[in-house]
Amino acid sequence: MFTAGYISQQALNGVVLGSMYALLALGMTVIYGILRLINFAHGALITLGAFCFYLCLTLLGLPFIAAIGLVMGFGALMGLVLNAAAYKKIRGGPEVSLLITSLGFYIFIENLMKLIASPQPYAFRPPVFLSQLNKVGTVTFRTIDIFIILFSLAIMALFTAFVKKTKLGIAMRATAESIETARLVGINVDRVIAIAFILGSAIASITGFMWGAKYGQISYDMGFMAGVKAFVAIVVGGVGSIPGAMLGGFILGMVEILSIGFLPPGFAAYRDGIVFAILILVLLLRPSGIMGRKEEVHV
Amino acid sequence: MLKVEGIDVHYGIIPAVRQLSLRVEEGQVVALVGANGAGKTTTLKTIAGVLQPKKGRVIYNGEDVTELASDKRVRMGITLIPEGRQIFSGLSVKENLLLGAYYRKDRDEIKKDVNWIHGLFSVLIERQSQIAGTLSGGEQQMLALGRGLMSRPKLLLLDEPSLGLAPMITKDVYQAIQKINETGITILLVEQNINIAMKVADYAYVMETGSLKLQGKPEDVMRSEEIRKAYLGD
Amino acid sequence: MLVSRIKRQLQVIIPVVFLFLILGLASTVFNRYIIHIITLAGIFIIATVSLNLTNGYSGLFSLGHAGFMAVGAYTSTLLTFPVELRKAYDLLLLPRILGGPNYQWPFLPAVLVAGLLSGLVAVLVGAPVLRLRGHYLAVASLGFMVIVETLAINLRWLTRGSIGINAIPHYTNLWWSYAWVVVTLYVIWRIVHSSYGRAMMAIRDDEIAAQVQGINPFKYRLLSFAIGAFFAGVAGALYAHLTRAIMPYVFSFGLTFQIVIMLVIGGAGTMVGPVIGATLLVAFKYAMKPLEESLRLYGFTELIYAALLILMMIKRPKGIVSGERQLLIANKAGLYLRKAMHSLRLDK
Repeated sequence: MFTAGYISQQALNGVVLGSMYALLALGMTVIYGILRLINFAHGALITLGAFCFYLCLTLLGLPFIAAIGLVMGFGALMGLVLNAAAYKKIRGGPEVSLLITSLGFYIFIENLMKLIASPQPYAFRPPVFLSQLNKVGTVTFRTIDIFIILFSLAIMALFTAFVKKTKLGIAMRATAESIETARLVGINVDRVIAIAFILGSAIASITGFMWGAKYGQISYDMGFMAGVKAFVAIVVGGVGSIPGAMLGGFILGMVEILSIGFLPPGFAAYRDGIVFAILILVLLLRPSGIMGRKEEVHV
Repeated sequence: MLKVEGIDVHYGIIPAVRQLSLRVEEGQVVALVGANGAGKTTTLKTIAGVLQPKKGRVIYNGEDVTELASDKRVRMGITLIPEGRQIFSGLSVKENLLLGAYYRKDRDEIKKDVNWIHGLFSVLIERQSQIAGTLSGGEQQMLALGRGLMSRPKLLLLDEPSLGLAPMITKDVYQAIQKINETGITILLVEQNINIAMKVADYAYVMETGSLKLQGKPEDVMRSEEIRKAYLGD
Repeated sequence: MLVSRIKRQLQVIIPVVFLFLILGLASTVFNRYIIHIITLAGIFIIATVSLNLTNGYSGLFSLGHAGFMAVGAYTSTLLTFPVELRKAYDLLLLPRILGGPNYQWPFLPAVLVAGLLSGLVAVLVGAPVLRLRGHYLAVASLGFMVIVETLAINLRWLTRGSIGINAIPHYTNLWWSYAWVVVTLYVIWRIVHSSYGRAMMAIRDDEIAAQVQGINPFKYRLLSFAIGAFFAGVAGALYAHLTRAIMPYVFSFGLTFQIVIMLVIGGAGTMVGPVIGATLLVAFKYAMKPLEESLRLYGFTELIYAALLILMMIKRPKGIVSGERQLLIANKAGLYLRKAMHSLRLDK
């Protein structure tokens, strides 16, 4: 049963899913690193991104590149709005308030989509050239899979360069370490946070498109699990570390696929439960994750 | 240059600083000393803009900056080097230094400053690419000083520069502080180690439980009865 | 001495009698639909008040409440399911220790067991999970809820999977619901105003200070987590016997979130807050339901809920009824303590 072909097929699936999770985690850690906020609304942005793409492509008939650009721009805008409208005001208060608010935003956007779009899922068909089936040896994949891997890697590379080489990027890393010290050095923390939201949300948005393309359908509640899994990926890879988040995402994707591929068939439906079991294990055994700094996970 | 007029600073409902007034003239080194919990750090933070006073004013070069945010004060020339160094331990030494000049846009001048700081603290060149968190306590203090200097401050606020440092290193740090003052930068420093503070200061303020107890030239302060009893065990 | 004791007990008994008089009046005046809603409100009050113990008073941001309700609901259902229908519904027959295949549990014991089992699960889950802080705890507890839901869907031999179980005996009525409301409020009120409660709040406000005073935070956390879960289980059981049908997806994030909103909007950390929050939101939801259905605007009510929550967080994060005074003083006291500790430690 476990032929080389089967294993390589699963491995490829794992890499594809891993790339998506890595990108998801990256988008979320940009905000989490600075604000220590699990932005549940991140999941909502994924849904928004997917629907936005659907709108652009299917209903408006825009060319592919333009659609991608619009989706990212829209995501960026939403992130900015979320920040300005709510998060900024709540930031000074108790830690929990931000979390509850982000939950509130998630529910709000989810139901908004339910109202506007429909409670039923939509079939999501990416442009034809991406749906093409290819075969290398015994492994079958569609072009979209390669696109996902390459695009994710590109965005991750770009982001890493941004954060290492540009003044603003370094400032973001500094702010993630300590907001107070960053202020002392003259960094305009509010602006840095706004930019973090823009970037993180744009990334979330595009991940929505990938998610929809991969699974072939989009629905109003698709973002929830994605958002939570992004957080699991961050924890696994190490809180506060950008490469850690990406690594965590890859690992999570691989583990999810492999556990489904290699466990007895009845267990497939457990995939979400497995993800959480991993989270709880990591939190208990190695809370700082693989690459994380020592953070106060425990009381 | 700096006038603090009757500030009251609270932590929640607890008053940490009461009716404090002090002055710093341009070019001076002024020391603010006192026991733990006396409110020295609170005062410094209020001058830097990290904390806001409930009452009173902070006047810098004639301007009332009491309400101004700390990052704006940096641009005006007030830089705080906080207690415990507070460097960005995940970033490299070079990145830390460059961040000190964050708001500046003059590339060439920034380069010049980096060289000057390397001259002051030679260890920083050697460890340029090292992650700041791996530096020793003394090296971190120099990095913090260097970073603070990168913002081209006119008034440098130092919070306990000798904290946790061995006596030899403390000497080096204070030598550097003197050199910095010689280039024209005004310094207001907070110290628990009263002896070394008095060696470099032109003027001293002594605080106790939130208010000013004594002030004067270092020699006079050191000779006063109260200080001798409290600190020198006479 | 005796007189004041009787006086105090009267202070409890009189409002309760009054409550039941009003309920009696209501049951004659209102139609069945409204009585159903009032009963349901009672159940949500229990759920919200119990969450208040964990979140509001002990500061543990747990998102897993729906999971405990699920445990309670399924337990009670499985115990009380009519024997004759078990075969037809592919449900487990009770083993000997639980009464054997021909036994059908009566309501009260079943609810009690449901609560106890939830509490037990809470202890098991809490042992590892409660050591986590803040949002880690939130996500871990969310994970617990997802795991429960996943198990409910997949352990088909126990729960009938995603089809769920219906034809549950209709035991819950107005009286049972509010009897349990009274019990819940009383128990939690007693806890909050006891040394246990004070310890929990001390831990919530300043962990380190509490530890220094010899309070073991973990023990108290576990206790409040377990008690909160117990009443959640009770609420779940009552829910099952009211709606007569349960499915895994009922006990998912949506339910937890509803209860969290009720708590937050009503005001965490006070006794009255959750009661008001639950009542208002249940009333609102069921007032809007017919409108939502007729206009086919699915998701509209939830949308308003969420918008209200966000507005609340911006404008009045403490909720409608805020123990604001109490919280403020507790916070300041904690801060003072911490500052004193800080300088004490440095003096060495």
